[in-house]
Amino acid sequence: MPADPTTLTVIAPLVAASQANAEPHEAEQQVVALFDQFRDRLLRYLLCFGLTVPDSEEVIQEVFLSLFQHLQNGRPRNNLRGWIFRVAHNLALKRRGRNRRNLETPVEAGAEYLAVDPAPDPEEQLVHSQSQRHLMAAFLALPERDRRCLALRAESLRYREIARILDMSLGAVSLSLARSLARLARSSER
Amino acid sequence: MKIMHDDSHLSDQQLLLNLDNELSAQDAKRVHEHLGECWKCRTRSQELESTIGEFVRIEERDLAAKLPPAAGQRALLKGRLAQLSTSESAFHPLHGFRWVLAAGAAGLLGLGLLIVRSAMDRQTHSHARAVIISVPDSRLTPGAALLASRQAVCTEANTKNKAVPVALQRKVFDAYGIASAGRGEYEVDYLITPALGGADDIHNLWPQSSSATVWNAEVKDALEDRLREMVCDGNLDLREAQQEIAANWIAAYKKYFHTDQPQSR
Repeated sequence: MPADPTTLTVIAPLVAASQANAEPHEAEQQVVALFDQFRDRLLRYLLCFGLTVPDSEEVIQEVFLSLFQHLQNGRPRNNLRGWIFRVAHNLALKRRGRNRRNLETPVEAGAEYLAVDPAPDPEEQLVHSQSQRHLMAAFLALPERDRRCLALRAESLRYREIARILDMSLGAVSLSLARSLARLARSSER
Repeated sequence: MKIMHDDSHLSDQQLLLNLDNELSAQDAKRVHEHLGECWKCRTRSQELESTIGEFVRIEERDLAAKLPPAAGQRALLKGRLAQLSTSESAFHPLHGFRWVLAAGAAGLLGLGLLIVRSAMDRQTHSHARAVIISVPDSRLTPGAALLASRQAVCTEANTKNKAVPVALQRKVFDAYGIASAGRGEYEVDYLITPALGGADDIHNLWPQSSSATVWNAEVKDALEDRLREMVCDGNLDLREAQQEIAANWIAAYKKYFHTDQPQSR
């Protein structure tokens, strides 16, 4: 901002502050870029947990603040996707545990973003074929662990990453995925 | 995994492991050979693949369209990261109150600058799709005021709702990382109102959510009117009013209106 004495707005310390703002730390930029890349995916995954939208958003904030610390501390940068989902999963479990202790928290409140509308408006009906709605309904009807396996796989996580996040064996992951897909396949045949 | 080599067919699990490239080279070779021979297994494999395809398409299109926008959360994250970075460095420019007086100003008004730390907060409306920014990010918008005297402020007309130049608005949105598409949800507003000596400066401007239903612009206007009245009646120090509004205007409202909820006007 130019130092124009006639405007009476000053300046020297502000200029320093604004330059600092203009050049955020490299790690900050990286974290924001990863936020842009993963926010929607994480939100979707967390809503599957039955967290509310505000709770999910807070978990996501925590994930990326932790990621910033992780990067600042010079920790490994390979497979950040796996890291992000693992931390989100653990934080979500914690938060859900807390919500359940606090009773009366509407644990399904986030479901508005996931629920299959039984009577979509005509426009929507055009877009969503019957079989797709059946498929979505079948997905939401899966046992929670199967749903998470499938959701994580849909985010391109490898079996060993999923096994680590959900604390399952590799064999259990592949069984779960195969079982879920078989159900989804049956549902869309209807 | 043991891959059957007799007449039996491959299981869904084996087929999926193969599709997902999770088999050892040796097992993958056996599965591949079997699929070459067996129409049933090949068909089943294709069914699984097409179910995956359908699932991915629905996820991408159906769910993404329903998610609340990310702009507010992105801005919040940026602000928090900036604060983390600042607190990790040796220099703490925004910790606590800090007044910087610049010398050499001529005329009736002195020249000065106020940097105040403000609490970062956010509020979500239960049905709103956007996250509401009710209080600005203290690093991006610490508040900046002219060092105008009480007399100078009070003899000026009440310049509330003074228009913010479009170019400056754009800079504010850029600083907060709010993309063009999401800008309709916000209105760039002065943190310290010009009616209380607030400066025409990017450090005194922030994107206020237009869709805020509780702590909204109207409520902030009421606070500004009240503070200006108190200042001009000699019941409140101008600097104190500026500091309080910049530190956390919601807290200031609660204090000066003696209430935890905004009053309807």
